[in-house]
Amino acid sequence: MRLRLQSLRGTLHRASAFIGLAALAALAAPALAANAPGDFGPPQGEPIHATLTSPPFVPPPIHRSFPAKVIVDLEVVEKQMQISEGVNYTFWTFGGTVPGSFIRVRQGDTVEFHLKNDPANKMAHNIDLHGVTGPGGGAASSFTAPGHESKFTFKALNEGIYVYHCATAPVGMHIANGMYGLILVEPPQGMPKVDHEYYVMQGDFYTGGKYREKGDQPFDMEKAIDERPTYVLFNGAEGALTGDKALKAKVGETVRLFVGNGGPNLVSSFHVIGAIFDEVRFEGGTNIQKNVQTTLIPAGGAAIAKFRTRVPGSYVMVDHSIFRAFNKGALAILKVEGQEDKTIYSGKELDSVYLGDRARPNLDAVAKATESARQGTLSLQDQVKAGEALFTGTCSVCHQANGAGLAGVFPPLAKSDYLAADVKRAITIPLRGLTGKITVNGTPYDSVMPPMSQLNDDEVANILTYVLNSWSNPGGRVSADEVKQARAQGAPAATASGH
Amino acid sequence: MNHPAPSRRDVLALLGSAALAAATRAAPPPGDSVYQLHPRLVDQDGHPFDWGSTRGVPVLASMFYSSCEMVCPLIFESISRTVAALDPPVRDRLRVVMVSFDPERDTVPVLKETAAKHHCDARWSLVRGSDADARRIAALLGVQYRRLPSGEYNHSSIISLLDAEGRIVKRTTMVGDVDPALVAAANSI
Amino acid sequence: MPRATARTLAIALAATCVAAAAADYARLPGGEFASVLPQGATPGSSAVARIAPFELRTTPVTRAEFRAFLVLHPDWRRAQAPGVFADAAYLADGPAADDPPGAGDARPVTEVSWFAAQAFCESEGGRLPTWLEWESAAAADATRADARADPAWRQRILSWYAQPAAATPADVGGAPDVHGVRDLHGLVWEWVDDFNALFVAGDSRTQGDPDTLRFCGAGAISLADRDNYAVLMRVALLSSLQARDTLRSLGFRCARPLPGDPR
Repeated sequence: MRLRLQSLRGTLHRASAFIGLAALAALAAPALAANAPGDFGPPQGEPIHATLTSPPFVPPPIHRSFPAKVIVDLEVVEKQMQISEGVNYTFWTFGGTVPGSFIRVRQGDTVEFHLKNDPANKMAHNIDLHGVTGPGGGAASSFTAPGHESKFTFKALNEGIYVYHCATAPVGMHIANGMYGLILVEPPQGMPKVDHEYYVMQGDFYTGGKYREKGDQPFDMEKAIDERPTYVLFNGAEGALTGDKALKAKVGETVRLFVGNGGPNLVSSFHVIGAIFDEVRFEGGTNIQKNVQTTLIPAGGAAIAKFRTRVPGSYVMVDHSIFRAFNKGALAILKVEGQEDKTIYSGKELDSVYLGDRARPNLDAVAKATESARQGTLSLQDQVKAGEALFTGTCSVCHQANGAGLAGVFPPLAKSDYLAADVKRAITIPLRGLTGKITVNGTPYDSVMPPMSQLNDDEVANILTYVLNSWSNPGGRVSADEVKQARAQGAPAATASGH
Repeated sequence: MNHPAPSRRDVLALLGSAALAAATRAAPPPGDSVYQLHPRLVDQDGHPFDWGSTRGVPVLASMFYSSCEMVCPLIFESISRTVAALDPPVRDRLRVVMVSFDPERDTVPVLKETAAKHHCDARWSLVRGSDADARRIAALLGVQYRRLPSGEYNHSSIISLLDAEGRIVKRTTMVGDVDPALVAAANSI
Repeated sequence: MPRATARTLAIALAATCVAAAAADYARLPGGEFASVLPQGATPGSSAVARIAPFELRTTPVTRAEFRAFLVLHPDWRRAQAPGVFADAAYLADGPAADDPPGAGDARPVTEVSWFAAQAFCESEGGRLPTWLEWESAAAADATRADARADPAWRQRILSWYAQPAAATPADVGGAPDVHGVRDLHGLVWEWVDDFNALFVAGDSRTQGDPDTLRFCGAGAISLADRDNYAVLMRVALLSSLQARDTLRSLGFRCARPLPGDPR
């Protein structure tokens, strides 16, 4: 008995010694240590060539459940492009666009990054990706002369939406010339499905000449240092996202905006007029804020905003430091088409802020016109004066007080060939709105004007009469009866069919 | 120091490598070889040093200046340790060439002193040439150096491994420690 | 004399005539100079540098001059120059040794490597200027030896950087500065002798890859005058190069010691 106990104890001793040794070995062996969070191990499968897209488009979502080696080929191109109509600027670009190509990878991917510098370029460039953990974000390893290519590899440890930019001295100038873009590192489980994903990036630009001064404009370093931008733009040009380049969606769809801010200097107060962001991953990080009107995007930062569209219209994206939107060009359009829902939006004003108290003065003219109409003595002058007052309160918000409209966004009413061509058609526009492509005075427009259903017949008649008799329009008169008839015809919202 | 008399095997090895060297030297060096350069150099013994004389064997090459207090001694140390870590057949063939970028002060006696200080044996050549030659060799080896008004130099520390044809097959900036990648690359030449 | 030899001789004579006629040097006084690159031993610390007087070519080397050089130095022709001295784009757009004189001769030669530029300068008893010599020469404008405090000087340089690289640069021979030197700005980038030593740390003890100093953060820190964007651009470009590289917008001019100077 004793012997057996002893031998058992001996076995136990040896066993525990063995286990102890094994445990020690396990502790000592570095290969068994845990990976950094976001490191899902070595890449598997064949290397993948990343699909890069030009703004405002985004590569398709990744449907992969394992980390892979992703090869990214990005080319630097210095090229002259229009920053505003008739204004040329030499941009330095990643992939030929401002912002640069959108890169999409999955957390844990091993990214083999190739940066190519076109031999026709004058400058050396590199890249700093904010999603890289490593010296300079890659800038240390990617300094590339024209006609050369650099390669470096990093593992995308953190998920999120990250800015990348050139980091060659002087950095401010390289960024100011448009060298920035976004890289999305998807979480391993992917992102919830949405109907549309778009890529928008704000930047401030500094030119020697004034805003919209025509010709070739150089970069102005003094203005950049003093942080006095000439232009503040989405996607590198005025009108980059307006008119036929507006972003599109339908009513009832979910839209995800990847919004970056390349700077170099300004912080963005990003807001979509008429929409509320259901969810914002503010600062592009992991936390989500809900029901956001305006979100701050730091220079060199990004955010993801998601919302569902509910009523049709042109939704204007702005930097809500508002002079940037209307005097420096920080304006983009999301055009939403589809059925109205009057329970959500009755179609009064787009944004009551803009009426201010412009509706107040000259209501007398409206009162007078109403009285004259009742007495049957309504004169052209009465209509014009009343129409002017109403126009100021309702239409001038978009079409401007002088009928000039907003280039690329809202068509002019001044000397409008479109109006003159067909007055009957003109009557239907305030009644039912107007969607789609039209050409006014040789310039194409492709917007959505919602119906002005708050106006009654005589108001429409007076406004139209005022318009027809202003700003070199051919003149004429529209009566309340004509409007009534047009309304009774009850056709759905006018859509442009050619011109 | 006493050297053992060369064995028969040693002699054959020496003749063999010399023959190989002579054979390869007959053909012009390839377009990417550092032996395309023909600098006029002198070694620590005052003998003219033929830059192309190391063709046919692997070479560890770097640059230095004798007045350097900190980094250059580390470069010497690194190379010594790397040499010691090589496989014996490679170690026997390999040569070390150290080029001064301060020829004004690194005269032949100074080079001799520096070689003695770092216990450089027969495989080491410490050489000097003109400023222009030093600049060109630096351009080939990827070494950066800049002379300051104080007479000191700011410089990078790069050790280059050349193959038998004078092509740079590996570079390391690891100084003080032995770079295993460099050892592996040398062993595979 | 065989025709081929006569023809070569004729070209060589013509070439030397062109070379001799065009090698115009101006005297630069040198002196004390506060460089954008720190001259002190520690990062960021700047000591004033002393530059000995020297001579500098008044214009970049032209295509005609380089062609003359190629005639007399066949080792440097496009087909002959080994890869270790010049990359694949070396002289891709000429000039070639047997080109006849023609339009474009007065343009600065580009697509030349540092090794080729050094060889050319040595062939006329000169060398590439050092960075300090080049920087001090480039500080001048039409009336002053050092115009760097003038924002207009800086802006003029920046506006050249802002234009995309022209397919072919213009002819040499712009307005002379106060020393009689032309085209230091606005035409082509230019090689300097120590182009590869511009971003080295002030402190030799900082180990590791010199590349870590080639990007913005360290670049901004290790340069003495961060506001001098105009010069930073040039340093950045030169630092990205290796000696065998060629660029369409990179040429060179030569410097030489004063007559009688033993250096």
